[in-house]
Amino acid sequence: MTLYCLGIEGTAHSFGAGIVTSEGEVLSNKWDMLKPAEGGIHPREASRHHSELGPSIIKEAVEKACIDFKDVDLIAFSQGPGLGPCLRTTATIARTLSLKLKIPLVGVNHCVAHIEIGCLESNFKDPVTVYVSGGNTQVIAFAGGRFRTFGETLDIAIGNMLDVLGRELGMSFPGGPLIEKEARSGTQYHDLPYSVKGMDLSYSGMLTAAKRLHHEDVSIPDICYSVQETSFGMLAEIAERAIAHTKKNELLLTGGVARNNRLSEILSGVAERHDAEYHRVSPSLAGDQGAMIAWNGILQYNTGYETKIENSHVLPKWRTDDQDILWRRYE
Amino acid sequence: MKQLLAKGAESVIYKIDQWGSPYVLKWRQSKPYLLKDIDSLLQRSRTSRECKMLTVSRSLGVPTPAVYSVNLDRHMILMDYIPGNQFKQLAGQISHSDLISFSRGFGSLIALLHQGNVVHGDPTTSNVIVDENSRMWIVDFGLSEMNATVEMKGVDLHLIHRALETTHWEYQEVMLDATLEGYIEVLGDSAESTLTRMKDIRERGRYH
Repeated sequence: MTLYCLGIEGTAHSFGAGIVTSEGEVLSNKWDMLKPAEGGIHPREASRHHSELGPSIIKEAVEKACIDFKDVDLIAFSQGPGLGPCLRTTATIARTLSLKLKIPLVGVNHCVAHIEIGCLESNFKDPVTVYVSGGNTQVIAFAGGRFRTFGETLDIAIGNMLDVLGRELGMSFPGGPLIEKEARSGTQYHDLPYSVKGMDLSYSGMLTAAKRLHHEDVSIPDICYSVQETSFGMLAEIAERAIAHTKKNELLLTGGVARNNRLSEILSGVAERHDAEYHRVSPSLAGDQGAMIAWNGILQYNTGYETKIENSHVLPKWRTDDQDILWRRYE
Repeated sequence: MKQLLAKGAESVIYKIDQWGSPYVLKWRQSKPYLLKDIDSLLQRSRTSRECKMLTVSRSLGVPTPAVYSVNLDRHMILMDYIPGNQFKQLAGQISHSDLISFSRGFGSLIALLHQGNVVHGDPTTSNVIVDENSRMWIVDFGLSEMNATVEMKGVDLHLIHRALETTHWEYQEVMLDATLEGYIEVLGDSAESTLTRMKDIRERGRYH
């Protein structure tokens, strides 16, 4: 029997809802991202955004899927990691729906969901995953029953770095897509700190140096070009280290920053060098959205997992490697 | 005679016989996915750095292979071949007490580097070789740095923690405890600030 899962995502500035079936069919995937007029994301404003728009986004998702609320078999929600106020709003909506519709609730790890939606789409069995977003920069692979973080940023996430740089260069939020556009007309590479430490990396030194280039009147396209080549190069290098180390033969790019074409091009070069298959998630499944939460909810529910209301408190610092991945039994 | 020993992300490693003895030839290949400017700079600077740091580290009391020649244009280093096994390979095969004693040894060697304000930069169990006399050697100094700050040393320890949890998850607690014991044994009270920093670093970079 086909199960219909409503997945609700709201860990940071985006709120999303999606319906996915137990056959892995994405029936709908609606979201809205808070775009602050200036500055970064304020957790409280983001949570208000979620509580104001959440119900209508969920309703849209159900309608788009051409089903009724009574057809939904299970509610999955992003339990963590993320910003406390956003997570709490999302969890409250999820609990309410679960109680009202009298259907099971499943708490999902946001990072794990990004990986699994990529695996669903690519049919990858056991990839090295590069997960890049506003809040995360991780190289993850499955080992010993868990998704383990082989490498990550030691300071700021790549998406955050791009947004901060964008702000410095006078761009609106989010800066990443505008930086990508500018970088295409960059011609002159300027040296920036390249900081790879083991399988980890650091972006703060490079960001400071890039801001300095701006004060030295280097052209915006050249700054964007230099920043992209340096920051993506570092990420590619740690991804390559993880592939060489784990000897896995699939490379998956997921998360909001996966939409960057130059990043994808560089990573496909890494895969090619190691005869690995390469896939990047399609744009609609790249950012934070409900479909990935719904699909992960189904994977968890199929192993008999269910989150009781009393255990549904949010987990703002839930680590990727803190969850036994019961639906993956192979090594 | 040239025998391929390993092909990693960073380099290709050959064992060659010359002058009647075995040597290692380490070749940093070009990474075609990187911008040419970055690629050339990394190949050259890491090759040069590795040569220098192998020698600096030996002077601090850490066994490292001796360098015989270097070609900075072709990014090649000819160095001693150390017959033995990677600690990474041994970890799952040896007794509990040997695992503890090698982990302590690993921690002590990293401490000797840190005592001399040197960080290794990639302190994984793949980069530790245990020879037939159970002597431990440290290799792969391409990311090593001098004039290390507490932050850099903290990152080094964090990387050890990371390597243990991803590669030796079954024994990670035992290995981490023993490694840090060996580290503290050498550095005494001065280890404290680095250990605190290691914990701080682990909390960073995450979603807050």
